[in-house]
Amino acid sequence: MTKVKICGLQELEHVRAASTADAAGFVFAPSRRRISIEQAAALAAELPESVEKIGVFVNAGLDEVLEAVQKVPLSMVQLHGDETDEFIRSIPVKVVQAFSVRDIEDVKKLERSIADFVLVDAPGIDFRGGSGRTFDWSLLGGASIDPERLIVAGGLDAVNVGQAINSLAPYMVDVSSGVETEGNKDADKIKIFIKTVKGDSMQQTTGTVKETGFFGRFGGQFVPETLMKAVKELEATYTEAKDDADFQADYHKYLKEYVGREQPLTYAARLTEAWGGPKVYLKREDLNHTGAHKINNAIGQALLAIRMGKRKIVAETGAGQHGVATATICALLDLECVIFMGEEDIRRQQLNVFRMKLLGAKVESVTKGSATLKDAVNEALRYWVTNVEDTHYLIGSALGPHPFPTMVRDFQSVIGRETREQILDKEGRLPDVILACVGGGSNAIGMFHPFVEDESVRLIGVEAAGEGVDTDRHAATLTKGTEGVLHGAYMKLLQDENGQVQEAHSISAGLDYPGVGPEHVHLEDIGRVEYKAVTDEEALASVIKLSRLEGIIPALESAHAVAEAEKAAAAMGSDEILIICVSGRGDKDMATYAEKLEGLA
Amino acid sequence: MKCLKNLKDSGDKAFVAYIMAGDGGLDKLRGQVEYLQATGVTATEIGIPFSDPVADGPVIEEAGNRALAEGVTLDKVLLEMKDWDFDLKIPLIVMTYLNPVIRYGAERFAESCREAGVSAVIIPDLPFEHQQLVEPYLKKTGITLIQLVTLTTTENRLEDILEAAEGFVYAVTVTGITGVRDELTQEVKEFMKTVRSKSPVPVYAGFGISRLEHIEMLREDVDGFIVGSAIVKAFHDNKIESIEPLIHAVTQRNPV
Repeated sequence: MTKVKICGLQELEHVRAASTADAAGFVFAPSRRRISIEQAAALAAELPESVEKIGVFVNAGLDEVLEAVQKVPLSMVQLHGDETDEFIRSIPVKVVQAFSVRDIEDVKKLERSIADFVLVDAPGIDFRGGSGRTFDWSLLGGASIDPERLIVAGGLDAVNVGQAINSLAPYMVDVSSGVETEGNKDADKIKIFIKTVKGDSMQQTTGTVKETGFFGRFGGQFVPETLMKAVKELEATYTEAKDDADFQADYHKYLKEYVGREQPLTYAARLTEAWGGPKVYLKREDLNHTGAHKINNAIGQALLAIRMGKRKIVAETGAGQHGVATATICALLDLECVIFMGEEDIRRQQLNVFRMKLLGAKVESVTKGSATLKDAVNEALRYWVTNVEDTHYLIGSALGPHPFPTMVRDFQSVIGRETREQILDKEGRLPDVILACVGGGSNAIGMFHPFVEDESVRLIGVEAAGEGVDTDRHAATLTKGTEGVLHGAYMKLLQDENGQVQEAHSISAGLDYPGVGPEHVHLEDIGRVEYKAVTDEEALASVIKLSRLEGIIPALESAHAVAEAEKAAAAMGSDEILIICVSGRGDKDMATYAEKLEGLA
Repeated sequence: MKCLKNLKDSGDKAFVAYIMAGDGGLDKLRGQVEYLQATGVTATEIGIPFSDPVADGPVIEEAGNRALAEGVTLDKVLLEMKDWDFDLKIPLIVMTYLNPVIRYGAERFAESCREAGVSAVIIPDLPFEHQQLVEPYLKKTGITLIQLVTLTTTENRLEDILEAAEGFVYAVTVTGITGVRDELTQEVKEFMKTVRSKSPVPVYAGFGISRLEHIEMLREDVDGFIVGSAIVKAFHDNKIESIEPLIHAVTQRNPV
């Protein structure tokens, strides 16, 4: 059971509230929570003997530390400054050495500590010691630290502590600002926090609370109770299938023999010349059977559905690419298929509607709301709730409740894995910049995922700015959205101040969605991926450019990535390498191109 | 919410009426609640409109869209309820999707609910796993978070959820969304029996309850009924008196 430390105690009321914790922290360093040795002694006297009394210091003199140990008395000392190993050895009680963890260098320092315990925290802002901000727990993933020596701090509260415990299994969690209201400790919050960690409501290893699929703070399984069984069943099936060599072999066989992978990484000579900057490469997802990356995921999920004994598939589609991919694979594997599509998208993407019907799928027109992708997802979810026992919901993007975002990412990661091998083969090194368009974000997460650990590779996701991010007609969720819950996940949304989800707008039906996959929100949150927005007009200009310079007519979605690539290339040198994910081909957009680019010839 | 337990102990059945706040204008809400109280309902569930109500069928979704078009928000509904000065004898339950609560702030939501005299809250897209997001704040203000169980709830989950249940348990009668239905299956009856045998609090059946036959079929296996779409539709069609026999069939011991 993970232990709890309540830190920065100053008042009797709060010390009493903390009496069921495992440790109480008294701050002797400059901070608004600082107290004197005498005050600490008075407070410590109120605590049961079993509660550790920990003094917090930053570069204090040894005499001061020893005096506090003796007079409070302290059972442990926590050091936040640049204390030497010799200093640590001079302390007669157990020592906690604290580290601000920003990057992998900090993790290495922490690994070398000789202290009894190491405490990790977000980098301090105002003063040394805790800052109350959460840090990227995943940084610790590769560190060789015994969890029995690990104390986790930094922006914890009753809401996120379960996730910290699940991902790190530390010896102790340390909370300070997370149990405060307006800068002061809150006795109720202290009790709730302790209960959350120790209480039966958080069964970390058994029961209902586990592996809820968060990326940082984003993700989760926010679905009606009726769907929980199906979501959990899928989670279990996927976890098993992921490590099943036969399943993987089957999946890769379809990718090779049916989709036509691997797809080339094409050197774009004329685009390179026209932009006068980096060498430009194009990852050719447009060459997949059915014309876009969507099929990579559709095959994987259809095989899982069969594994679960479900032979009916429901799916939503925006541009129709996912609908076509789903209808295709359902035809191939003899599965029943219902596709929900917004009426507005049906109008924009008639060719794809016909393809789905030809493939034997039932296409249901959604006339509610904005009659686009968001509303199609709503209807698909309602259909799933009603037919959950024999139907699999084949979500088309890295969205929805866990395990969908993780699973879709894994199925799409074939894009990034191939790209990585290909560029190493062609150039002998990793690229400098990679761009991909982001609606829900499946081609982008599939492209980025195998490069996330490579810090030298700049990753740029490109959203749809529609008529401009400063108008109310755009789909730039990461640029302009705020946090909220939609379609099963905690993510970012376009919403009003009352939490009503707003309509998105983009000329591209595939980017026309007011949310974005939770992993993207996390990658933005930790600063690993940059997200930019490109307008309808810029995207259309790039359609012409790519068509005429490279003989590749891109999908409108992919053209957003091309437009942003041109901007990125302007600041790059000729010794650099840039890769664009061309997620799909433009056949489906021909009616839009004909209308918008009239007079082009 | 203690009155619900008392009602169960006395052997009477509860009728919980759902209304969409602000369908037809927020100024109608007060009169609707007063009417329902006078008609003898046990509690009133006040629905907050949401742009993407994935657990609801067309009747409630359309009512929600009408309310949104009237500019109704969570904040406005709670402020309206706070102003009520009539003699309110029945518990008020707020039903809202999670996102408006997150946007409003869970702590502030709990506080505003308390000020508005709310006894319990139902959040259909907040599963048991994630209740820490809201439940601690509600608890602090003495408001109950109602648990939902469904036909697809697995046995282990059912035990966990029922253990945490307070006030009453919302037992969903259909695998599907809210809405008026013709038939309920025998499976539902068995499910209600199971839930009731394990639940520490009264068990109310909801989703799809719209006819006297539904009530007759489940009467002996539940402690009460929650009726939504049928009431929302009756209010919208200005035919609310047509729903009175359904209410009386539940609340009166010897309905005529």
